[in-house]
Amino acid sequence: MKPLIEMIGVTKDFIQGDNIIRALKETNFTAYEGELIAIVGPSGSGKSTFLTILGGLQKPTTGRVLLNGKPFSDLDVQEKSKIRLDSIGFILQASNLIPFLTIKEQMILYNKITKTKINQSWMNELFLKLDVEKLKNKYPNSLSGGERQRAAIAKALYHQPSVIFADEPTASLDTKKAYEVVKLLAKETKEQKKATIMVTHDERMLEFCDKVYEITDGVLTERQRT
Amino acid sequence: MFLALKELKYSKLKFALIIAVIVLISYLVYFLTSLAYGLASSYTNAIEKWNSDEIIMTVDANDTIMMSFMDQADYNSVTTTGTKAKLGLFPGVINDPTATNILDTRIDVFFFGIDNGSFLKPISNLTLTGNQVIADEDLQKEGYQVGDIFGVSGSTQTYEIIGFSKKTTYQTAPVIYMSLDTWQQYRYNTPTPPDLYSGIIIRGESSLGSSDSGLLIYKTEDYISTLPGYTAQVLTFTTMIVFLIIIVAFVLGIFIYVLTIQKTSMFGVMKAQGISNSYIGGSVILQTFFLVLIGLVIGGIFTLLTGIFLADIVPFAVNIVFYVVITFAFFLFAFFGALFSVNAVLKIDPLKAIGG
Repeated sequence: MKPLIEMIGVTKDFIQGDNIIRALKETNFTAYEGELIAIVGPSGSGKSTFLTILGGLQKPTTGRVLLNGKPFSDLDVQEKSKIRLDSIGFILQASNLIPFLTIKEQMILYNKITKTKINQSWMNELFLKLDVEKLKNKYPNSLSGGERQRAAIAKALYHQPSVIFADEPTASLDTKKAYEVVKLLAKETKEQKKATIMVTHDERMLEFCDKVYEITDGVLTERQRT
Repeated sequence: MFLALKELKYSKLKFALIIAVIVLISYLVYFLTSLAYGLASSYTNAIEKWNSDEIIMTVDANDTIMMSFMDQADYNSVTTTGTKAKLGLFPGVINDPTATNILDTRIDVFFFGIDNGSFLKPISNLTLTGNQVIADEDLQKEGYQVGDIFGVSGSTQTYEIIGFSKKTTYQTAPVIYMSLDTWQQYRYNTPTPPDLYSGIIIRGESSLGSSDSGLLIYKTEDYISTLPGYTAQVLTFTTMIVFLIIIVAFVLGIFIYVLTIQKTSMFGVMKAQGISNSYIGGSVILQTFFLVLIGLVIGGIFTLLTGIFLADIVPFAVNIVFYVVITFAFFLFAFFGALFSVNAVLKIDPLKAIGG
């Protein structure tokens, strides 16, 4: 299996007054294609530090991040931003849909920014897969929580990124809807050969994940499952 | 482009309110400009008509041409590279002697005394003889026609209109052109007046003879700025217009800034997703331009409509150059206003978009 995103010997220090705080201890992490990986941990554990370094929003103090086998963390801010746009899909709690764009326009925005052609057939396929066909001309505000997350998944998949970051994708959903969303995410990850990294508090969702990592006090460990 | 337009479409009411403010202010600015230009023109139309470079009066007159008295010797001693012409200038009040209530027909005017052959005559193929005069078109609007007779306050003389000249007002009052002889009779109110006039108008450059120590050469534009109230009025209008444009920049800048701050978390998420600062900032600036553009177009249309309906009541005059300059200034200042917001966008930290 192909590794899509890798973290090699990454640490992150923060300076607080005279003290140096190591928010992330030396971490090695690899996500392969087709893997849905859950990251769990209490808040303040270094979870968001881990995710933001992985996503290129912060520079690691030591070590490096490789995306599709190429150096990622060493690039400058603009280049990283460009690569994020093409190679990473984001599913955030609620707010990553732009309120004044219809679901269809959310996707077209990517084409407008990158000056590429609209991939109509792929878009229609996604609409059908994620059951948002009827919602494509609606604005996010008029959708229910579940519908919104399905739309967000469609959007994250539209530009065919290699890695998807999902930050608490089930936070505002009831159990049934949450299961649906995570199942969809797992299915698409397999089918589209993505690596999906999902931060969650929700232990019920872990059964759909291929691997589960825990972060405690800046230490990332894989949870052994029975 | 895409983002900016879609948001305008989605938040119609919010942006309509902002556009309304721009419409009102731009309407005010365009209208004030037209008024200011119209008023300034009605001060100077008759002077502009001369197409002259210089004006010569006596030093004693202290910039007031009506108090300048010059004779034939003065005229002869002035040498010029172009042409020179005598001008008699004096205010008057005319009336319609056939009206039942003569007092109701009083109109303030300026009497210009000119030589028949001089370039000061507004209609060159008409000859001014005796009490025949050419009057400004304003009198036509008051109901006078060619062949009509009017009287003047303080005199028993009557004058016959033989033609109407266009755009010949002086200090907002219509000008009445007559031969210099007739003017002198009016000015001194006697059939045998002294052979005096008010000033010499020069096309080209002039120089004074050695005996002309009592005369002064004015550039035409310098003379215009000595007209009573002219400079003050132009300055007042200009100040108002400049301040209004700056106020628009502030109002617009504040509106856009507040809207941008409201969208901080959304922009953060967009930046986290890899959408560049330049795309987001560009879309903020573009949006500002659209708002200004729509506002100015509507404001401009209102101004022109008002101009059409009020042209006879107020001195409304269109000057394309002024409009272009003001429109450009609006865009420029609005751009500065939008830069605050772009700066705010740059400062948004995409890190905040991802909690965990």
